[in-house]
Amino acid sequence: MMKLEAVIQPSRFESVKDALREIGVEGMTVTEVRGHGRQKGHTEVYRGREYTVDLLPKIKLEMVLPDALVNRVVDTILKSAKTGKIGDGKIFLSRVDEAIRIRNEERGENAL
Amino acid sequence: MRIAARPGLLQGSRPLTKNMQESPTPLSVLGPQADAERQKIRQEFEAGTSARDTLHAICELADHHVRQIFGEVLRVQNREPEGLCLLALGGYGRRMLFPYSDLDILFLFGSERTEQEFRPLISEFARTLWDLGFRVSSAGRTLEESKRIEEDNAEFHLALLDRRFLVGDAALFEKLDEKVLPGSERQARAFMLGQLHRLTRDRLTRYGNTIFHLEPNVKDSPGGMRDYQATTWLRRLAEEKKGIRNITAAEEELCASAVDFLSATRCFLHYSNGRNDNTLTYELQEAAAERALGIGDGVKRTPAEWMRQYFRHARTLNRHLLRYLEQRAPVPLTLRQRLRNAARVAKYDVPLSKYFHVRDGLLEISDLSALSDRAITYSFFAECARTGTPLSREAERCLGYVLIHPELPPKNTEMGWEMLREILGSDYPGLALRPMQRLGLLAEVLPEFALIDSLVVRDFYHRYTVDEHTLRTIEHLQELADPPDERGAHFTQLWKTAERRDLLILALLLHDVGKGMPVENHVTGSLAALDSAAKRLKLSSEERGEIQALIEHHLDMSATVQRRDIFDPATVAGFAESVTNQERLQRLCLLTYADIHAVNPEALTPWKAEMLWQLFVATSNYFSRTLDRDRLRAHDEVSLLGRIQASAGGRASTEEIERFLEGFPRRYLAMHSAEQIATHFGMYRKLSEEPVGTQVAATRHGFVLTLLTADRPALFATISGVLAGWGMNINKADAFSNGAGIILDTFYFTDLHRTLELNPSEIARFRKSLEDVLGGKAALEPLLKGRESARRARTPKVTVPTHINFDDSSSAHCTLLEIVTQDHPGLLYEIGSVLARLGCNIEVALIDTEGHKAIDVFYLTAQGKKLAAQKQELLREVLQGTLS
Repeated sequence: MMKLEAVIQPSRFESVKDALREIGVEGMTVTEVRGHGRQKGHTEVYRGREYTVDLLPKIKLEMVLPDALVNRVVDTILKSAKTGKIGDGKIFLSRVDEAIRIRNEERGENAL
Repeated sequence: MRIAARPGLLQGSRPLTKNMQESPTPLSVLGPQADAERQKIRQEFEAGTSARDTLHAICELADHHVRQIFGEVLRVQNREPEGLCLLALGGYGRRMLFPYSDLDILFLFGSERTEQEFRPLISEFARTLWDLGFRVSSAGRTLEESKRIEEDNAEFHLALLDRRFLVGDAALFEKLDEKVLPGSERQARAFMLGQLHRLTRDRLTRYGNTIFHLEPNVKDSPGGMRDYQATTWLRRLAEEKKGIRNITAAEEELCASAVDFLSATRCFLHYSNGRNDNTLTYELQEAAAERALGIGDGVKRTPAEWMRQYFRHARTLNRHLLRYLEQRAPVPLTLRQRLRNAARVAKYDVPLSKYFHVRDGLLEISDLSALSDRAITYSFFAECARTGTPLSREAERCLGYVLIHPELPPKNTEMGWEMLREILGSDYPGLALRPMQRLGLLAEVLPEFALIDSLVVRDFYHRYTVDEHTLRTIEHLQELADPPDERGAHFTQLWKTAERRDLLILALLLHDVGKGMPVENHVTGSLAALDSAAKRLKLSSEERGEIQALIEHHLDMSATVQRRDIFDPATVAGFAESVTNQERLQRLCLLTYADIHAVNPEALTPWKAEMLWQLFVATSNYFSRTLDRDRLRAHDEVSLLGRIQASAGGRASTEEIERFLEGFPRRYLAMHSAEQIATHFGMYRKLSEEPVGTQVAATRHGFVLTLLTADRPALFATISGVLAGWGMNINKADAFSNGAGIILDTFYFTDLHRTLELNPSEIARFRKSLEDVLGGKAALEPLLKGRESARRARTPKVTVPTHINFDDSSSAHCTLLEIVTQDHPGLLYEIGSVLARLGCNIEVALIDTEGHKAIDVFYLTAQGKKLAAQKQELLREVLQGTLS
């Protein structure tokens, strides 16, 4: 099992979600986050006051996937989240040792 | 109510189950008996027995088994009950025991010694009841302990108010009931009232202080059974005297009917869920509606219809609770509250003062007989909205009484737009609209709103009914005057400076009305509702157009924030194009803020609030920086041309009107109504006779000067100078020019010395003065003499640093100059003079103030071109020197 964390543009979230649903991925955790990588922020002046937007809004998706599905999900996210501009985000993958469904204590991929 | 058991009560006991099994009525017999009885009660309830009888039967069953088991346990132990008795408390005590509710039982001991002796017996008793399917929640006290008030256990003392003797030593109970508790309860009355207030307020706050939850908890939500119980306790603790603010027979009847309905619902929930779960879920709403639960006529309802019944009853219980909470406030007001209340005391117009007054920070009715006159009733609400003084619950009750009694025929029932907009445009519209909705007056004024009254629309995100969501949007806006958390911080200034808030609030009242109509897209329905409301209220076409745009686009800003890249200039430009102007952007931003906020308490995350703000700032800047890009092509404005022609009585040709309009920035249309533009055109036609056309009119907050003339050097500076010379403070201004070099300047100003206000004849002299100075017949300097020294003598309370910014990229033809500086009378004259002296021509100007801060944007050219870098530097230097 792999844990996938993807940080994407908020504007791409609906497309990513729909694309994932099409390939059968329905469960995910979504968080509104702020941050920056290479895409630095900018300063906006409104009525004489400077607003520095150094942490840009992003959406973070988290999901744990069976190994067989990982590549497909990664491809889907890449396709649907990409705009080609700096700030499109990143995908992180890490191995997961165990998953347990609290309701019935199922374990492993059955619990996903 | 959970009663905290004293530690140790059920510990260290010796199991006696074996002995019980040997008794003449063993568990093996009692268990099935109890189950059969429960089943029978349930079947009878499902067959139509009233909730009242069902609760009574459940209570009887519990009483029977409590007494039987207690007797059995004593028999096995070979004891007499002397020195021990059992009391039913809380809901069990008042015989309102729901199918899966706990049995709250108090073990009362004569002394500590008897407590020690009976402890094993009690443990066995409780365990046996559990085995028979009764959930026992027990506590134990000696008679001596019962005299003390446990300050950390107010729930116990409140439950004790509903005590009822069950079994055991009757003399002991009599001693407690007649000798011990009356004295201690009297002494602790203030404490218990205070605690009851605290517990109730905490509970109401936990549920967002509203009955209108999509899936309410029929016990604990506002309007639930707990409200009824808290009201009963409040009345008992306050030792309500008959005849004084008492409940009328009709109100009592409504309450009883509400209690019956909610009891039936709660029974149904317990039976359906098989446990003490009081959440009225969507699924169970459907099932309840199917069997017309609590209505009794057997006619199947839709879930929405049945929920309306539920909310009607919940509203009755909640209204009574709130009235009693308000009347019996046991805690003295804090100094802050007292000062706040004192500050709220309204200055009444003389004719109104005999109808109402302020007491303890609440608006009370002085003359009940006046209430049948709706004009007076609405003036109460206008006062609430204007001053932020809430209507007292007692006043609301009086209004409610008058509204439903036909022997008091209402007068002046028609509420015109003028009165309604006074309420909607005030600082606290929610304070008036909330009670107006509870009383049915909002639906009287705006019948379209009745379509969403108590309407449950199921979706994953919304927590409240549609009407509740709508009222919350308005309350979230009025909160912006003093935002309760960081999410509102950016939007405060937008709310404070928003013009025509009445249009924004009316748009909010109607934005979701379509959800109550059989239409595919609720926006279509809401627009249809606006059509009928606009006709009835006789809104002008501009007012209607603005509200229509707000309703039509009410989801756009939220959608843009969530689905578009708001940092992409193309997104901002596209969004700005759909919004069309700055004023609408401000209203739309406030509407979006409120609409998201009112979905549920967590919906407007700081993240979303920040995104919304970023889009607002980017779009606002886009408007300021692209003002001269979008110029009017008069030929395309067919409808406007027609209206101006009609206003001119057909005396003007289309070509003449087109010549006037051609080349004005499009923003000119956004800032002026067709009627105003027609007036401007009238002034334009007279230019040959009057080279300087002026008009001065009073507004809500001051005056507005409109001036139309041919362009000339230092025009803007001269007008500003005359205004400064007359002691007028310019708050806002705009200066536009058409393609033929005709200048139209509008100045909104306050009359610092009330010269024009107190001497209306001075308006003519003021206009003459302007015309003379601009026409070269009089000099400006003598006017300004004296004003300068007065200005220098005043020290500003807040210091605003000066920012001067040039922007060459936003406009194709002009250099933008943005100045943010300390506002003071004559400021615009100073800036205008510098610009004129350095040969800068003002193509467009937007002048605004925000408290002590002046925010001015000028589109400048020099000899028809953008300002050279050198000139910009010189201008910056001179302006810095002048303004600092």
